Amino acid sequence: MEVMNAIVEAGLAGEEGASVAGLTRKLRKPVVAAANKMVYIHHAPIRVWHWVNAAAFVVLLLTGVQIRFAGRLNLFSLEEAIHLHNYVGFMVISNYFLWLLYNLGSGQIRLYLPNPRGMARKIKEQVVYYTYGIFRGDPNPHQVTPEDKFNVMQQQTYAIIMFALIPLQMATGLFLWEIKRFENYINFMGGVRIVNLLHVSLFFFFAAFLIGHIYLATLGHTPLAHIKAMFTGYEEE
Amino acid sequence: MNRKWGMSLAMLVLAAAMSGAAASWAAVDNGVCLDCHGDSSLTRKDGEGSVFVDQKSFQYSVHNINGIGCLDCHTDVGDLDVSQAVPHKTPLAAVNCGGCHEQAASQYRLGVHQKASHKGIIIQCQACHGYHDVVSNENKPVRERENRSCLKCHNPGKYHNWLPQKETHFTYVQCTVCHAPNMPHVIHLRFYDLAKRQFLEPERVLAALGTDFDGFMPMFSRDAKPEEMSADEFENMVFALNRRGLYVGFHAELLSQNDPRVHQVTKVSAKRACADCHAANAPFFDSVAMFFVDQNGGVHQYKLDRKVLESYSVSNFYLPGSGAVSRLRPLDLGGILLVLGAGVGVMLHLAGRAATAPLRKRRHDRKEGEAD
Ligand code: HEC
Ligand code: HEC
Ligand code: HEC
Ligand code: HEC
Ligand code: HEC
Ligand code: HEC
Repeated sequence: MEVMNAIVEAGLAGEEGASVAGLTRKLRKPVVAAANKMVYIHHAPIRVWHWVNAAAFVVLLLTGVQIRFAGRLNLFSLEEAIHLHNYVGFMVISNYFLWLLYNLGSGQIRLYLPNPRGMARKIKEQVVYYTYGIFRGDPNPHQVTPEDKFNVMQQQTYAIIMFALIPLQMATGLFLWEIKRFENYINFMGGVRIVNLLHVSLFFFFAAFLIGHIYLATLGHTPLAHIKAMFTGYEEE
Repeated sequence: MNRKWGMSLAMLVLAAAMSGAAASWAAVDNGVCLDCHGDSSLTRKDGEGSVFVDQKSFQYSVHNINGIGCLDCHTDVGDLDVSQAVPHKTPLAAVNCGGCHEQAASQYRLGVHQKASHKGIIIQCQACHGYHDVVSNENKPVRERENRSCLKCHNPGKYHNWLPQKETHFTYVQCTVCHAPNMPHVIHLRFYDLAKRQFLEPERVLAALGTDFDGFMPMFSRDAKPEEMSADEFENMVFALNRRGLYVGFHAELLSQNDPRVHQVTKVSAKRACADCHAANAPFFDSVAMFFVDQNGGVHQYKLDRKVLESYSVSNFYLPGSGAVSRLRPLDLGGILLVLGAGVGVMLHLAGRAATAPLRKRRHDRKEGEAD
């Protein structure tokens, strides 16, 4: 019933999404009211993509550590680590293109493109929130809606990751997969050591990012709220 | 030195005894044979197959350079009867390379190829080495070594599917490094002309430096270990060449040392554990050297410290895992700090939230109070 309600709500939301959200916020009685408003935020293909990607990232990071620190660590044999890393790497690449196609096709790609208007102010608000407001119990200045699902900092981080860093990681990974085959590209980029430097630097970046990402995911109404939403699609209002 | 291993002692004594007179003596002998066999149209009587011997390539072969003539291999020719079209008996006995290269031959008996004779497959020495044009392979790149031998019969791309970076391995690692395990290896550096994009003959390098084969090492290696060039001395050498207008890089490859044990080719105990090479301080990289071969086929080996492999000039050389070779330590350090930093940041934020929880509760209650 609640779910039905939410779907109707979300369907209605459309253009007025923001104002409906604003209304609910005003009406909201903390705790009790918050629990039963559900908004459909994460579409099914995105959820599937997200969890496939998440699992793949964990495997890539673990095998990546093994490859990088071969001979010092023994999580896998190097041979297994490399084969697994390659297979999963290709999985991530195809998954990425499914994600891209879906977002382009559905127009959802715009969720990742920050609106320059008021951006500086919004960034400030968001920074103040995470470094100060959150400790005082201020509400998050950004209200999640299907139309505006990321706060401005998420938006920028995800845009950089999805449109720059992941493609770079995929390209360097592809080149390193068969160095001989991609010799020309590798030489163009300045040699195998440079390509490797990029790939490994990004690997460390993604490892660090993942820690922050998981932590931030626990900052919902309840620690598991956002994470549940990534399974069900529904975010508590 | 290893390369003398294969020679039987008797042969060495003989060679030494002949060394004075050998040159002219052998030359005349060869000349007699080449009067006929130097003719590219000379065929067997029945027309089946050429009996031409290419004088040029024979001249530069390691055997001719070392004074080994036609009769040293074709021992049963006997006295020529020049009144005949074929002045010697035919067929002649098969040449016995192992007569001189005893060690190589006895090691070869332990390898898969000799053992294949049980199946009626005879693979002679010359299948890999050739015979009239045998040259020392010591300064030859992997591809050239393999094209002349293994790749004539095997297509390694068809198997080795377990091996990541197959083609890369085949390009930079000689087959026998894995297939004749338990023998010494060397990382061989070759000069590469970055401007002309081609490999440099040692002679050009020496000419640019104004030195010779013997002067090369003393010119740069001046520290306590004159027989080995340190990483700094190596950089000095690169700079010295730059100053003289030669911009060089180096190609590094992993080769089997010239050692008779290389003939113990095996499938079952071929190296398969990646970690043998891909490990910090893998012994595989202890020996790094450059080989120059002079006009007379003499091989000059210059040892290098393994640290030169980290030099920017050896930028094609990269392999995961081997710390002392190409690990960019600062990168790992920075990366680990970044990840730890993220963890610490998260912990601090979490601690901050825990510490301020009472504050939020008070505020919350107050608001609740106001609302009621
Ligand atoms: C007068 C010309 C002539 C001279 C000189 C000569 N050969 Fe030959 N040789 C031939 C011919 C012709 C054949 C081809 C024989 C045949 O029909 O199988 C031959 C065949 C050979 C073969 C192949 C034999 C086989 O088993 O198939 C060898 C090896 C050989 N010669 C070595 C020598 C050597 C070594 C010398 C010098 C000591 C020499 N020949 C001098 C004409 C010559
Ligand atoms: C390193 C040893 C070696 C030397 C030196 C050598 N040969 Fe041969 N030669 C061989 C081998 C091996 C074969 C292959 C056939 C065999 O096993 O008998 C061969 C074959 C030949 C053949 C048969 C045609 C062919 O190419 O298969 C001729 C003719 C011949 N040699 C002539 C000469 C002459 C002339 C010289 C001196 C200029 C010479 N050889 C020096 C090892 C040698
Ligand atoms: C009469 C003696 C003799 C015979 C027969 C002989 N060789 Fe040699 N071989 C030598 C000598 C001497 C050298 C030069 C010294 C050295 O490098 O060991 C040499 C060098 C070589 C080398 C180069 C070794 C290196 O240092 O890289 C190879 C390869 C070789 N021989 C292969 C063969 C093959 C294959 C045969 C048979 C077709 C053969 N030899 C027959 C005497 C002989
Ligand atoms: C003249 C052709 C020839 C050349 C050159 C040659 N091989 Fe072989 N090799 C064979 C043949 C034929 C067999 C098969 C033997 C058998 O079936 O027992 C074989 C078997 C092998 C095997 C074992 C395969 C198995 O299934 O047991 C290995 C490994 C091998 N070769 C490696 C090499 C390497 C490395 C080189 C270069 C140094 C090389 N071969 C050069 C013909 C060649
Ligand atoms: C990284 C080490 C490595 C390198 C480099 C390598 N091999 Fe192998 N090769 C192996 C191992 C290990 C096996 C056995 C695989 C197995 O047991 O299935 C093998 C198997 C083979 C076989 C037997 C294939 C079969 O199943 O019958 C041949 C032939 C062979 N290699 C030839 C070559 C040749 C030729 C080269 C050089 C171009 C080469 N190898 C380079 C490790 C290597
Ligand atoms: C399957 C290919 C193969 C066969 C067959 C073969 N060799 Fe070799 N041989 C090699 C390789 C590989 C090396 C190492 C140098 C190189 O990379 O070319 C070598 C090196 C040598 C060397 C120089 C190193 C040393 O031992 O001093 C000699 C001499 C030699 N071989 C002699 C022989 C003789 C004699 C036979 C026959 C009994 C023979 N080879 C058969 C592949 C082969």
